[in-house]
Amino acid sequence: MCDFDALWADVLRIFPVLGGANAISNDPVEENVFQNVRQHLMMLGSIDTFAALVDLEIQSTIRNVLVPKFWKHIHDCLVSSKLQGWINDQALAIEALPDKNGLFTKFIDAINELHDSFQSLMQVKPRLIQLVGAETKPAGKTVKLMQEDGIKNSLRDCLLAQLPPNFSVVVGAFYWVHFKLFTKASNLALTTVDSDVFDELLCVGCNFEAEQCCCQRLTNMVNKTNMKLFEMNLIDRLTGSALTALIKLKIKEHISDTCMGIFDRSHLKQLETWLSDVIMSWLTNIFTEWKSKDSITDIEVPESVKSFKVKLTYFMYETFAQSVIGQFFSIIIDYPDSIPAIDDLKICMEKIDMRVYLTESLRSSLEARILHPGVNTMDILTGYVAAIKAIRHLDSTGVILEMVTAPIKDYLRKRNDTVRRVVTGLTEEGPTDLSEELAKGETIKECKDSGTDEFSNWENWQPDPFGIDASIMQYNSSRKMRSADIISMVVDIYGSKELFMTEYRNLMADRLLAQLDFNSEKEIRNLELLKIRFGESLLHSCEVMLKDVTDSKRINAHIHSDGDRTDNQLFDISSLIVSAQFWPSFNKESLQLPEEIENEFKKYTKAFEAYKGNRTLNWRTVTGRVNIEIEIGDRTMEMVVSPILAVIIYHFQNKNEWAIEDLSSITKVPASALRRRLSFWQNHGLISETTPGIFTLLEKESEKSQYEDMSLAEADEEDLESAMASASDQREEELQVFWSYIVGMLTNLDSMPIDRIHQMLKLFASHSGGVEFTQDELKHFLQRKVREHKLIFSGGVYQLAK
Amino acid sequence: MKVTIKSWTGVATWRWIANDENCGICRMSFESTCPECALPGDDCPLVWGVCSHCFHMHCIVKWLNLQPLNKQCPMCRQSWKFNVH
Repeated sequence: MCDFDALWADVLRIFPVLGGANAISNDPVEENVFQNVRQHLMMLGSIDTFAALVDLEIQSTIRNVLVPKFWKHIHDCLVSSKLQGWINDQALAIEALPDKNGLFTKFIDAINELHDSFQSLMQVKPRLIQLVGAETKPAGKTVKLMQEDGIKNSLRDCLLAQLPPNFSVVVGAFYWVHFKLFTKASNLALTTVDSDVFDELLCVGCNFEAEQCCCQRLTNMVNKTNMKLFEMNLIDRLTGSALTALIKLKIKEHISDTCMGIFDRSHLKQLETWLSDVIMSWLTNIFTEWKSKDSITDIEVPESVKSFKVKLTYFMYETFAQSVIGQFFSIIIDYPDSIPAIDDLKICMEKIDMRVYLTESLRSSLEARILHPGVNTMDILTGYVAAIKAIRHLDSTGVILEMVTAPIKDYLRKRNDTVRRVVTGLTEEGPTDLSEELAKGETIKECKDSGTDEFSNWENWQPDPFGIDASIMQYNSSRKMRSADIISMVVDIYGSKELFMTEYRNLMADRLLAQLDFNSEKEIRNLELLKIRFGESLLHSCEVMLKDVTDSKRINAHIHSDGDRTDNQLFDISSLIVSAQFWPSFNKESLQLPEEIENEFKKYTKAFEAYKGNRTLNWRTVTGRVNIEIEIGDRTMEMVVSPILAVIIYHFQNKNEWAIEDLSSITKVPASALRRRLSFWQNHGLISETTPGIFTLLEKESEKSQYEDMSLAEADEEDLESAMASASDQREEELQVFWSYIVGMLTNLDSMPIDRIHQMLKLFASHSGGVEFTQDELKHFLQRKVREHKLIFSGGVYQLAK
Repeated sequence: MKVTIKSWTGVATWRWIANDENCGICRMSFESTCPECALPGDDCPLVWGVCSHCFHMHCIVKWLNLQPLNKQCPMCRQSWKFNVH
C-alpha cells in the first residue's frame, strides 16, 4: 500500500484547489510527482472519479470562494463611498459620483484578484490533461474533462447570479475615468487656454497636477484590466450595460453641449463624425487596445463593437431629435434662420418615428408659451404664421401642421379681437407677415377640385403618415385644406371668409371716416389684392365704399367751383357722401347743429341736389372734422376737432355760462356724453365747471398757462372712436328678424331650452335661405331680451315675461 | 371769445327723392342697385313714370321689353310713360 498522506500532499501540489486553498502556486511541479500520482490513481482505478472530483471542486471554488470574494470587494468599496442608495438612477449616479477615482482603483484591484484566481484555476486543466492523458490519451475521457470555456461560463454564470444591483455604478465609474483619459487629447485641443495658465491647472485626464500626470500609467492599468476581462470572457456580459449607459450619457451631454440653442447650422454631420471619431474609437480601444499590434489587423473590429455602433447611432439620432423637438418652439420663432435645424430633424424623422412625440411636445410648449392671456393677439398670430411656415418645411403633407395648430386655432377663435388683428395685419403698412403674404398674391386654388384630383393623379398618391390618431384627422382632412396657403390658414381660424370680410369692411369704414382726406389709393391697392384672393363678390361693398370716396371728391370739387355758392358762405364744406346700403350701419348718435351752421349745410345740400338730379343728402352731423380758430383774450388757437366739440365751443360764443341740461337739449346730445366732450375743453383751459352741472367760459388767461402744451393729438384721439355700430350690434339687428318667431314659439309651447329654440330657428332660417347664426349668438340675443324684461330665464328654459 | 369755423369736412348719406323705398320690380332698395348692377347711384339710376311710380331704370326697361303690346306700369297698370323732369 502506498502512503496516502504522501500521495495527498502530491495531489495538493498539483491541484491546490482540492485543498480548499485558493493560494496560487505557480511553482512548476516536477514530472516525477505527476508520475507518482498517476501511478497510484491508475492502481486505484479511480482516475475518472478523480477528474470529476477536481471538476466539482473547481465549480464550488468559483461559487463559494471566488465570486463572493469579488463581490465583497465591490460591496466594500460601495459601502466605503456611501453609495448604497445610488442604485436607481444610473446615469445620474455616474455623473454625480463623489469618488470616481477611488472606485476606479477598487475595481481594478477586484478584477486583478479575480483574474489571478482565475489564472490559477485555468492551470488545473492542463495539469489534469498532463496527469490523465500523458500516455493513454483516450479521446472520450478528455472530452469529459471540464473545458476551458466551461470554467469561463461557470465563472460568468456565478458572477451574474450574485450580481449586486449597483455594480454597474462601479463599472460606470471605471469607464468614466477611462473615457476621460481617452478624450484628454481632444479636450486639450478644444480648450484654448493659455499654456501658462494651463500649467497650473490639474490634468484633465487624471486630475493630478500636470507635472505628476499619471494618465499613461492609468491608461496602462485600464488596458490590462480590459484584457483580463476579455480573457475571462466577461467584458460583454458584465460591463456591457454599464458601458452603454455611460455612452448614452456622454451622447446626451455632447448634444446638449454642442447643439443647444444653435439652429442656424446643421449638426448631424458633426455629430456622426463625433460618434465615430470619439465614441467608436474609444469602444474599439476597450475591446482591442490591449492586443498586440499584429493581432488587431486580422481580428479587425469585433462583432460586439459593430452592434454597439448600430445601437448608438440610433440612440444619437433619437437624442438629437428629442433635443431639437424640445426646442422646437424657439425654432419656430427663428424660422427662416432655423431651417438647418428643421432639416436635421427631417432626417432624424426619416430614421425614427417621432411624430407623436413631436406633436405632443409642440402642442404643450405652444400652450405654455403663447396660448395664455398674457400674450397679445398679434403675437399669437405671428407665432401661428411662423409655425405654419416652419412645420410646412418639416412636413409637406400638412398632417402634423394640422394637429399642432388645432389648439392655436381654437384659442384664437375665443379671442374677440382676432379678426380685427388679422385684418389689420393684412392691410397694415410696413412689413408684417400677413401683408407680405397678401402681396405675394397667390390665389386660393379653389377651382381645383380635390375629389377628381385625387383619383386622376393616383400614380403620385402617397398615404398619410402613420402614427397619427385617426380621430384627430377626421375633421378637415381634405387635401385641399391642408395645402392651403398661409392667408387661408389664418382666415380658416374662423372657418368662414365672410366674417373676415365683414370685419375688413368695418375697419375700412372706420379708417375712411377717420381720415376724411378723400385719398383712397392705398385702400384701393389693398382691395385689389384681397379681391384676387377672396373673390369679388365678398368685397363688393368695399368697392362701392371706395367709389363713394372718389365720387365725393369729384362732387366736392364741382360744388366748390360753383361761383354762386362761394359768395357769402361762412366756411368751406367738403363732404364724404356715402351709399348707406353698402356701408356698415352707423351708430345712433346724433347732434343738432346751430342754425347758422345748419344753413351752410342746407346750401351744400341744395348744390348737391342741383348737381345730381332727384337725389338729396342726409347729413350725419356727428362725424367729421372741423378746422376752427378760437380767439380768446389776446390768444388765437387753431385746431382740428370733431363736430361735437366744435358745436360745444361755438355755443359758448354767445353765452358764457351753460347748464349741462340746456346744452344737452340744444345739441340733442345726452348729458353724459356731453360731459365727456366738455372735459376736452376743460383740459384746454377754456371752460370750467364752476358749480356742478354749470359750465363757464374762462376768458382770463391766468389758468391757461399750464395747459398751453396741450397738443392736438388729443383731438385726434377723439376722432378714433368708431362711428360705426359694432359688429355684434349689427349681428343682433339681424337676429331681430327672428324675434317674432321666438315670441310665437314661446306663446305656444310656454317654455323652451335654448338648444330647442336654436333648432327651430335654424329650420326657419334654412327655409328663408338667410342668416346663419350660432347658439352662442342666440344666447346673447336672448339674454338681452331678458335684460329688457321681455323674457324670463329660469331653470334653463326661456319663457315670455307676463 | 370768437370761434371761427374755417372749414368743415362732414359725412352725409345720399338718397333718392322718391315716394317709396324699394323698387317695385326687384324689391331692392332704391339706394341699392338693380340685380344686374354693381355700383349704385349714377350707374343704376331711377326713372319716374307719369303715373308717379318709380323704379330702377334697368328694371323697368327690362319689364317693358317683356310686355308685347301695351307697355304698362307694373304697379298701377296705367300705360307707362317716362316722366322727364
